[in-house]
Amino acid sequence: MLLLLVPAAVLLAVVFVAPMLHYVWLSAHANSVLTGLVPIPNQGANWLRLVSDQRFWQDAGQTLRFTVVSVSLEVLLALAIALLLDQRWRGRGVARALTLIPWALPTTVMALGWRWIFNTPYGPLNQTASLLGVAPLNILSNPSITWMATVLADVWKTTPFAALILLAGLQTIPTDLYEALRLEGASQRTCFLRITLPLLKPYIALALLFRLAQAFGVFDLVQVMTGGGPASSTESLALYAYINAMRFLDFGYSATVMIGSFILLLLLCLISWSFLIRLQRRTGRV
Amino acid sequence: MSLKLNNLGRRIDGRWILRHLDLEIQNGECLALVGASGCGKSTTLRIIAGLDQADEGSITIDGTDVTSTAAVDRKVGMVFQSYALFPHLSVAANLELGLKVRGVAPSERQQRVRQVLQLVQLEERASQKPAQLSGGQRQRVALARALLRDPLVYLLDEPMSNLDAQLREELRPELRRLVLRDQKPVIYVTHDQHEAMAIADRIAVLKDGQIEQVANPIELYKHPASLYVAEFIGRPQINVLPPEQGVIKAIRPEALKLQAGGIACELLHREWLGASQIWQLDSRLGPLRMHVGSEQTVPESIQVSWAPEQEHRFNARSGKRLTA
Repeated sequence: MLLLLVPAAVLLAVVFVAPMLHYVWLSAHANSVLTGLVPIPNQGANWLRLVSDQRFWQDAGQTLRFTVVSVSLEVLLALAIALLLDQRWRGRGVARALTLIPWALPTTVMALGWRWIFNTPYGPLNQTASLLGVAPLNILSNPSITWMATVLADVWKTTPFAALILLAGLQTIPTDLYEALRLEGASQRTCFLRITLPLLKPYIALALLFRLAQAFGVFDLVQVMTGGGPASSTESLALYAYINAMRFLDFGYSATVMIGSFILLLLLCLISWSFLIRLQRRTGRV
Repeated sequence: MSLKLNNLGRRIDGRWILRHLDLEIQNGECLALVGASGCGKSTTLRIIAGLDQADEGSITIDGTDVTSTAAVDRKVGMVFQSYALFPHLSVAANLELGLKVRGVAPSERQQRVRQVLQLVQLEERASQKPAQLSGGQRQRVALARALLRDPLVYLLDEPMSNLDAQLREELRPELRRLVLRDQKPVIYVTHDQHEAMAIADRIAVLKDGQIEQVANPIELYKHPASLYVAEFIGRPQINVLPPEQGVIKAIRPEALKLQAGGIACELLHREWLGASQIWQLDSRLGPLRMHVGSEQTVPESIQVSWAPEQEHRFNARSGKRLTA
């Protein structure tokens, strides 16, 4: 029987394990234009550099901020949307289909769209602002607020994905559970807190972990919308790794940044996981 | 003191799925509501519980009109077909939640949960989740929740349909004892005529949202008011003869006797039931089922007949019983 697992294991090894090991190996070598793109072992110098690399830690903080804010907003919004789409009402089928559109759009396309929306002074946002007599907002050139624009675009795009997971979860809850509690005189709110939320928890956890991993690795959205700017204020770890490889042609260090951000993501997942488990233990009590 | 349904009706998308339903169930009486699926029996139950609204007619509980009363104030104890237990809560927490919602103090809650668990003999399962229980135990938890409600009426929606046949037989007397303990009206919905016969004091047979007959099990078996009831009640199923001059005759398989000079039959199949056997016969009147003792051997030529008073006669057009 184990033999049947071989094709899957081989595939996994070739596309996942091998590149990963290669990057670990690469991160222990100097491999850049300076070495003539020949890997030379450098005794952990890349790692020492990473630990004291201010740009790496600044990007890590920015990536974390982006991840935490956008994923929290997404899951909350998705819950509201899923609850709405779970109710019976006219046009629900159409609304369900429409909800998915942002998610179905290629990221580059929608990132360009948002860049245009925020364009100064010709984008729709500033056109509206000027009609209202408000001075143009330089959203994409203000280092302290540009990251919020990227969060907005990410929320717009990926909330449908989280909503889809939560909607699937809602549909697994049998209606007679609500009816049984209604017979006891429970309000809508009690039903939500006592039945919906606890039974939806595994799905919330799933949406959270999926989105966490995706948001932490954000690349295309930032690359197209802001290019990491202004003043690197929206640069993510994935973008930094890309810049190291493609702009500085420093493949050894790029691999180190990638493995480093992978370790940070693992830590983040572990922390969220233990939080979710603690939450799970609290259910089961009246 | 009783539960009364007066001319109850329910219409969905312009079609009456329940119409002219009149029933009265006394305190301490168990009435079974039977019928094929889609006949309106579950709808009736949901209307009584207040989970669905009637479009016509009224419901009175103990003389009070509750037709437009909110579900919670009707004080019904309901057992759902699926049991509707909260999968994330322990057995005790499942039972406690309803009391908490109703604002019962914590100390009293625990005491009452303990008592009811004792009553349904599940004390040692209090801390387990529903998924860890057997089907029969889950059903008892669902019943315990209804009991905790101190209801004025018990409504049981196919409470045994998820259990295997042997367990059903075992649990039946226990279930009847528990729900009739505090002498309240009980409505027991089932699609299984055998179960209805076994558990109920009276049976109401529903067809297409209307009552065909309400009677005690013996009456229903001996004097079915319509061909539908005759075919629904009693297994093996009644033999229905081809219509003759607007009259359909039907004879119970147990009323058929071997008799020389009777209708000549050919034996197609024998079914052994242990204490008795069923013969599937073919005759000029069509296929016949005959219920005979297990000792009976197959004679050279099979000729069957029946006493005229064993014949049930129905109007071929309306299916209603003809009183001879």
